[in-house]
Amino acid sequence: MEWKGNRNLLMAKRCRTFGHTADMGLEAHADTLGELLEALGEGLAGVICPRAQVAARQTRDLEVSSEDPEALLVEYLSAILNVIEADRFAVRTVSVVAADQGSVKACLSGEPLDPARHEILREVKAVTYHQTKIAREGGQWIGRVILDV
Amino acid sequence: MAERFKGKLEQMDANRWRIPRESYPGMRVDGIIYANDELIGDVISGGGPVQVANVATLPGIVTASLAMPDIHWGYGFCIGGVAAMDVEAGGVVSPGGVGYDINCGVRLVRSDIPAEEVRCRIKELVDQLFRDLPMGVGVGGPFQFARQEMKRILADGARYIVAKGLGTDQDLAATESGGCLPDADPEAVSGEAYKRGADQCGTLGSGNHFTETQYVETVYDRQAAEAMGLKEGNAAFMIHCGSRGLGHQVCDDYIRALRSVPDKYGIRLPDRQLVCAPVDSDPGRQYLGAMRAAANFAWANRQLLVYQLRKSLERFFGRPAEALGLRQVYDVAHNIAKIETHTVDGRRMRLCVHRKGATRAFPPGHEELPAIYRDIGQPVLIPGDMGRASYVLVGTQEAMKQAFGSTCHGAGRVLSRQAAIAKARGRRIEAELAAAGVIARARGRTSLAEEQPEAYKDVEAVVRCVVDAGLSRKVARLRPMGVIKG
Repeated sequence: MEWKGNRNLLMAKRCRTFGHTADMGLEAHADTLGELLEALGEGLAGVICPRAQVAARQTRDLEVSSEDPEALLVEYLSAILNVIEADRFAVRTVSVVAADQGSVKACLSGEPLDPARHEILREVKAVTYHQTKIAREGGQWIGRVILDV
Repeated sequence: MAERFKGKLEQMDANRWRIPRESYPGMRVDGIIYANDELIGDVISGGGPVQVANVATLPGIVTASLAMPDIHWGYGFCIGGVAAMDVEAGGVVSPGGVGYDINCGVRLVRSDIPAEEVRCRIKELVDQLFRDLPMGVGVGGPFQFARQEMKRILADGARYIVAKGLGTDQDLAATESGGCLPDADPEAVSGEAYKRGADQCGTLGSGNHFTETQYVETVYDRQAAEAMGLKEGNAAFMIHCGSRGLGHQVCDDYIRALRSVPDKYGIRLPDRQLVCAPVDSDPGRQYLGAMRAAANFAWANRQLLVYQLRKSLERFFGRPAEALGLRQVYDVAHNIAKIETHTVDGRRMRLCVHRKGATRAFPPGHEELPAIYRDIGQPVLIPGDMGRASYVLVGTQEAMKQAFGSTCHGAGRVLSRQAAIAKARGRRIEAELAAAGVIARARGRTSLAEEQPEAYKDVEAVVRCVVDAGLSRKVARLRPMGVIKG
């Protein structure tokens, strides 16, 4: 698949978007599970609002747990989406405080969404379970998820 | 990447292809895909057929797992999917069979305004509508409803909005289900869903949602067009929108809530997005209650959008709505699940009919149709892409026989958003549309690129297929003059 780097990246972890007929996918690779989740969380935030436009003035904590890694990935990203959509909070960074394959605790930095300063690129309706992947392969963590936009 | 279909696909006739139930393990019925020669290539190379086969494994499914010719890959169900489950036989309801945008649908308003009067001022009109109709990601609307009032909206849908003086009884009569599904349960909707939808009732949103100024180019069925008030050369206005963030969250909540339910009922799912519950179960009833509430929110949303559209047009043309002849033709839902009675092999059955990217198409004489349409059949509104055409069709008895009274919903995407953006590089889509006579304005930076005409199938081929298959009859062809998008 062609590499299309996310130009909104501010981090060393790699996250890219890929096409899906009506929607959009995110894929990331990282050395640790925590870094993978950070990359995907920031990737999600970045497809909604360029993170470079967002100042880290406030924080939001989230904690999710689930019965399997794929469900955990969807729940975690859905929780971030909820903070963005329901709380109208623009995210600059995602820091994972603790993570295993059944739970994740993270802290989001950012600020209230301000249409005057923050360009909203697109609306993400939901994080889907479709072709979700989270696995350790060849010494690296890889995660994939498709977003309904 | 779409999973390419490797199973058996047998051509039944010029417009239908069968996936035999022996093709995949667990299929309870055949899959049937509506597609003609023009469309079948894209169908096979996309992931839709695999999803049609997957849906055929769901408990209680009756007759066949169907897909309309605007089929494309979705979540669980393909877009264009229709599946009916026998409620009494433990048939299931699946949020994936409705979609995240619950009651995404289309509303059409006719007018007496000559297209020429609009065309010579189309840029100004587009600018006016762009100012007056709230659209775009993160853009709230002027209508703010406190939680208690939101619950009334979720219970009563468009009826609540009309009761507030923001619409007419004719609007409700010309809306599928009268703009309100009974047995909605606002208490089954989460706090997060209420929060996401808080200031979104009466807003267009973004993505493939739009308000389009059109003209009636061709009338094919004079009697039906007259009943609908569609006259060649007159302007019309089409709105495509759904349940906004509230509906998206309801679907998300219930995909999560129902996750462990299939195991409890011994249901093995080939795809996690097909999570489901028996209609006749507590979780099934809870999802249906929440889905109906979200559907009602969508009808209230479209009612408020039409109210704002009318006001904007009154301001622009300097005449009241009545003098402009602004009257609603119809409003259809194309992402919904409904309990309906259908005749299957001579037996009347109570079915949960999922239509995901498919439109109800009831025939002449159906009791659910308003009196003005009882002789002609239910209007079906098929938006094309913003450069080409949209269609008004009517439902048929054949649609009842073959497809539980269903037909297509639109053109169906062929390019991903990313591919569409890449294809638009170096081009000015807005200028290309203007050269073709369509003035387009969008709030999002990539909206026009993502929604360019080439991203979609040719609606002509899709409509040709459903008409040739007997699922619908053509009434009128509408062409765009102006479009606004979020």
